[in-house]
Amino acid sequence: MRTRPLLPAIAVAALVFPGPSRAEPVRFNRDILPILADKCFACHGPDAAKRKAGLRFDREEGARKVLGKPDASELVRRITSADPDERMPPKDSGRELSKAQADTLRRWVAEGARWEKHWAFVPPTRPALPAVMDFAWVRSPIDRFILARLEQAGLKPSPETDRTTLIRRMSLDLTGLPPTPAEIEAFIRDAGSDAVDRLADRLLATPRYGERMAWRWLEAARYADTNGYQTDAGRDMWRWRDWVIEAYNRNLSFDQFTIEQLAGDLLPGATLDQRIATGFNRNHRGNAEGGIVPEEYAVEYVADRVETTSTVWLGLTLGCCRCHDHKFDPFSQREFYQLFAYFNNVPEKGRAVKFGNSPPYIKAPTRDQGQTLAALDRRVADAERRVRQLRGTLAEAQARWERSVRPADVPDWTPDRGLTTRIALDDDGPLTVRDGPAVYVPGRLGKALDLDGKRFVDVGNVGDFGFDDRFSLALWVNVRQLTGALLSRAVDDPQGEGYGVHFVNGKIQLHLTKRWLDDALRVETERKLEPGRWHHVAVTYDGSRLAAGVKVYIDGAEAKTTTLLDELNQSFQTKEPLRIGSGGGPDGRFNGLVDEVRVYGRVIEPAEASVLAVAATPGEIVAKPVAERTAAETDKLRALFVAKVAPEEIRAAHEALRAAREERANFSDSIPTVMVMEEMASPRDTHLLIRGQYDRPGAKVTAAGPTTLPDSPLGGSRLDLAKWLVSPDHPLTARVAVNRLWQLHFGTGLVATGEDFGTQGEYPSHPELLDWLATEFVRTGWDLKRMHKLIVTSATYRQSSRVPKVLPARDPDNRLLSRFPRYRLSAEMIRDQALFASRLVVEHTGGPSVKPYQPAGLWDELSGTGDYVPDTGDKLYRRSLYTYWKRTAPPPGLSAFDATARETCWVRETRTNTPLQALTLLNDVTYVEAARKLAEIVLRECAAADDRLAVAFRRVTARAPTDTERAVLRRALDRQLADYRNDPAAARKLLKVGDSAANPRLDAVEVAAYAAVCRLILNLDEAMTKE
Amino acid sequence: MNSVPFPIADALALQTRRAFLGRTVGLAALASLLGRDAASGGEPHFKATAKRIIYLFQSGAPSQLDLFDHKPKLKDLFGKDLPDSVRRGQRLTGMTATQESFPVAPSKYKFRQRGKCGAWVSDLLPRTAAVADELCFIKSVHTEAINHDPAITFAQTGAQLAGRPSLGAWVAYGLGSDAKDLPAFVVMLSQGSGNPADQPLYDRLWGSGFLPSRYQGVKFRSQGDPVLFLGNPEGVSTASQRRLLDDLAELNGIKQAGVGDPEIATRTAQYEMAFRMQASVPDLVDLSKEPASAFELYGEDARKPGTFAANCLLARRLAERDVRFIQLYHRGWDQHTNLPKQIEGQCRDIDRASAALITDLKQRGLLKDTLIVWGGEFGRTVYCQGRLTADDYGRDHHPRCFTVWMAGGGVKPGLNYGETDDFSYNVVKDPVDVHDLNATILHCLGIDHLKLTYKYQGRYFRLTDVHGEVVKGILA
Repeated sequence: MRTRPLLPAIAVAALVFPGPSRAEPVRFNRDILPILADKCFACHGPDAAKRKAGLRFDREEGARKVLGKPDASELVRRITSADPDERMPPKDSGRELSKAQADTLRRWVAEGARWEKHWAFVPPTRPALPAVMDFAWVRSPIDRFILARLEQAGLKPSPETDRTTLIRRMSLDLTGLPPTPAEIEAFIRDAGSDAVDRLADRLLATPRYGERMAWRWLEAARYADTNGYQTDAGRDMWRWRDWVIEAYNRNLSFDQFTIEQLAGDLLPGATLDQRIATGFNRNHRGNAEGGIVPEEYAVEYVADRVETTSTVWLGLTLGCCRCHDHKFDPFSQREFYQLFAYFNNVPEKGRAVKFGNSPPYIKAPTRDQGQTLAALDRRVADAERRVRQLRGTLAEAQARWERSVRPADVPDWTPDRGLTTRIALDDDGPLTVRDGPAVYVPGRLGKALDLDGKRFVDVGNVGDFGFDDRFSLALWVNVRQLTGALLSRAVDDPQGEGYGVHFVNGKIQLHLTKRWLDDALRVETERKLEPGRWHHVAVTYDGSRLAAGVKVYIDGAEAKTTTLLDELNQSFQTKEPLRIGSGGGPDGRFNGLVDEVRVYGRVIEPAEASVLAVAATPGEIVAKPVAERTAAETDKLRALFVAKVAPEEIRAAHEALRAAREERANFSDSIPTVMVMEEMASPRDTHLLIRGQYDRPGAKVTAAGPTTLPDSPLGGSRLDLAKWLVSPDHPLTARVAVNRLWQLHFGTGLVATGEDFGTQGEYPSHPELLDWLATEFVRTGWDLKRMHKLIVTSATYRQSSRVPKVLPARDPDNRLLSRFPRYRLSAEMIRDQALFASRLVVEHTGGPSVKPYQPAGLWDELSGTGDYVPDTGDKLYRRSLYTYWKRTAPPPGLSAFDATARETCWVRETRTNTPLQALTLLNDVTYVEAARKLAEIVLRECAAADDRLAVAFRRVTARAPTDTERAVLRRALDRQLADYRNDPAAARKLLKVGDSAANPRLDAVEVAAYAAVCRLILNLDEAMTKE
Repeated sequence: MNSVPFPIADALALQTRRAFLGRTVGLAALASLLGRDAASGGEPHFKATAKRIIYLFQSGAPSQLDLFDHKPKLKDLFGKDLPDSVRRGQRLTGMTATQESFPVAPSKYKFRQRGKCGAWVSDLLPRTAAVADELCFIKSVHTEAINHDPAITFAQTGAQLAGRPSLGAWVAYGLGSDAKDLPAFVVMLSQGSGNPADQPLYDRLWGSGFLPSRYQGVKFRSQGDPVLFLGNPEGVSTASQRRLLDDLAELNGIKQAGVGDPEIATRTAQYEMAFRMQASVPDLVDLSKEPASAFELYGEDARKPGTFAANCLLARRLAERDVRFIQLYHRGWDQHTNLPKQIEGQCRDIDRASAALITDLKQRGLLKDTLIVWGGEFGRTVYCQGRLTADDYGRDHHPRCFTVWMAGGGVKPGLNYGETDDFSYNVVKDPVDVHDLNATILHCLGIDHLKLTYKYQGRYFRLTDVHGEVVKGILA
């Protein structure tokens, strides 16, 4: 064998498909198009802007111009010309043709230059099953295709692997976890001819199946628990993640899986679940950095949706068309923006919310939460009914009481639930007035404080609220000057950080400011206050960070407001004191009278705001004839009566209603939200963006699919697009999907470039099999579990992974599958297997993400704003799928094993082999603790040393060790026992690694020695490899 | 020219090659080759002037106006509005775009001409100034992005959005490692004292993007294990760990004899490399044997793990051990307000150690084949953000010009390259964009940035996308 240099993927592919043999005619799609695409399309392809000499070879009519006759072909002349000016491709293009490639082109011309459309853009037709010689080997149609190709290459399949290897392989592939010893035994003993079928059925029926499949989908969907840019703070998308797991587990058909995720919100009568599903296209990153140009990122989000959707369903790299026509595939820049238009109608902002979910999002109760919520709703309804029933009794009781009570005996009443501070300003206690003396005058309620535009009150540390808090501020004012700060907790500056109620040109403003002008919220009333008379002002904020969450009441009535700024993104909490009459800088102080300042740690109700604006005491109201009372006065008296006077039965009913409502509201707050797709009432205009730049709009476009693909969606809604993707004869969707299924089991897809089915992608290793699988998938209703079963029960899948002594020269990479490919487990499987083998794993499906072990400081050293705080208890041992995923600092133990960062869509399986992986498996607390617990299991469950070692070995690798292996393990154990006997303190130290307590009934030295051997086992190549 | 992109390390190709190597050259050779990361390494395209890079990245964007880009005429324009003729409607960040005025804020720091080359450096950086004759100042660097995340991602990966391999990963992929028992690409972080809660960093900045993850930077840390999971577990001695690896090799060998997969030998080789790192890395980061003179040179800060000074000293030690790409990040340069107070702290952090690194490498004969790069993700505005007083001002992000200096392997020492206008607002001579800068860094390593490619999603990607020109004017 001669040495050869490293080769590019395309050349490797050429080794598998080494061009047409002399006996076989050249095939355009397999042999010619890849050459044209790689060597010619850059200058003679779909991109009009880069096209040279007006020639394009991506279309037959273009290519015909230079093909000529076999004996007088301009193409052949140019690729073989000795003249460097004539020779194609030109030297400076860096795209030289090999001799073999030139020969292939020449043969193709000689054979008549048959032209075909790129295979992946032609709908698959169901191929006939090819003839094979070794019929006995075949178990499924899959095997016919595989075997035919092997036989053609003069190769034989490998024998069926042993049962132990097979059950481990299938368990890992279908559930992501290894089998238990009992399951292995049962499978080995199962003599039924359908044992493998039944095993597949059993594995596909466990909820672990959905968890296993979800991992890959999350990588494709760029799912994470954080927003991704700069601060990279948290978000909540786990309800979408749980939807995915459930969808797999209930075997939602792939067409419906597609439709619901892309356009579930547009389905008639969309259910909560179908709306949650649309979170798929909100999983992209969101930029909340201060100072960004929002329009720039609004474009990025939509472009991400187009690119992700086209990679996941179409296997196309449409991102290439964002700035220019595609260089290799027949897609124009205009078509990119036509697809863009489908995703451009989300009512969203370019600047994302910094902490948490960005609109649009919905409350997404879990099933349990939904039931609790329904029960709480019933309780509220019951309580309301009871209050209604008592209305008559209440009116009678109040009327009786009003007739009998003396006004002087009526107690005062104002809403005081959630009242954190009341400052009466009645000169009845100490008050810190700055920049002048305290001057009191007769007020609205008792006395009032007279502020002169200079002096103000420093209330101290009161009203310490931030942007997540609910609060209300209320006060009486009588203004002299039309501008001034009423009440604030902010840096004393017109644009200062903090919150404040301001009086500006007679109008009331609420300021919530982190950084003026790009991180603040400001609303203003339309109504102006009249100078020289008392007004009551109340302001409420519901913690939503939105202007819509602010209400202003003037004299008890909600005032119409206009939003001046709605860009609040960070908390405005400050260490400043609460100030009355100040907060707009020394020149912006309040001039007028202030009375009765109230601060509530909740949002007061409209009725309460109305009552607060009633200056009359209940006693004064009682004294008035009923007809002369205002509605607010009537309300105030009623409120007093219910709260303090009414018979127990009435008070209890009202209290029960209040409690029920409060409980419902509190519970409702605990319900997770999830970002979803929604459509704006009137769609946004979409323009082609020149060079892809957000600030260079070109022609306006409307939603439409790529014209190269048949039956492009006719309609302009996302639902039309989704339905088109899963139309039965779509050329790509089913092929791309089954290719990923194949990749999941065999490590490499039939198309190795699963992310690219275009002309630059690899030609399929088994095109007919790909088409057969695609058509079978559609024919059987896009049934995922059925496809998995079809694959794992095939003879192809059941082959041994033993590598032959001499690699077949025609297939050194095993793309023809003359054996099962042996390769390393993926990141999540390696960790989950260790947790499972040691019985540490805590299995339940779904829920908020968890924070398992992570070395200290990893977050803080990147940001200086706080570190990762690991969870404790069960949350340390959930399957890796549930691990909290921070995009800018992903979990290092998983990243080491090639888990993707989840910043962008990723559909290919990648596997590397690095020393960092060795360090992780050797030393990460996760694996040391697993070794320790595995040791405890075998010490408890077996008596003899050899049995213990064998069981530990088996729990990880599924098989029993050979005698030779057993001897190595035994020697290792004996040495460790000796060492730890000499140093029992070291043994005790080892037993403290990890949060789970060591079993006190076991001997520390023994546990440590066995743990050392279990570490050895967990580090075996075989342990981390699917055989 | 060969049409095969250089060098190719597609996962598939790797496997093929490994399978091949495993069968023909024998396992010992394989292990030693892998230890040197031969799977990726290749010969440069042309003669390199630098064997390695030390990139002193100043995250947050240092103010060129207060450090290097001397604009004496601004003194007379204090507080006056920036003329529209200078701004020319160029976009501003959302933080100042709505500001009512753009008052000019001259630097409050004194500038002097330094060394024989006469480069202007402010008094904030006296020691850097003292080695000015070794430095090549590029005053005309500019970038596309105006916010930190996209800008730093652009500077380090050639794209504003996540997903591309970092500069160091490209270099590791292209050239492999010369270090026997250390990674090819090492990253160290430090927090600035100017603003400790300043702009964050992201793993993607030293990530491998779509390249195989073996090329990503390995972070050397100042707390806990110097490399993640480097230390043996509690209660496990080095002897015990060694025996585990011997047993592991034996068991893996038995397995390999049975299934014949050469990948098993590769795995064993990686465990050996890991074991060697367990010894080499602690030895590397142990500064206790550094002589007192080292701390005189780098400053007492260098005794504190995790400081920029300590990281510079470590950078020298890594350079001595032939680590290919040594990437430092120093945070804290984002001075929107209180610039003087913060920048003084930042400069104290970095001035002495940056200069010490140059002096030290020169003394050891390493400067000639080590390229040092010092710079941030963009510059800062001449106009004030927030309140302007004689002593206090702030500056917003400014992508149109900023200063980067280089030193050592292959660049002209004592050179001033590029010019900006009187406001340090626009480049007026010899513009250098981020792609040009990265192309030049690769060039010094002997790599043609047009030829270092990787095929992904049907496209041959490169660090410089479809841009980049080597800045010939700065090459020695």
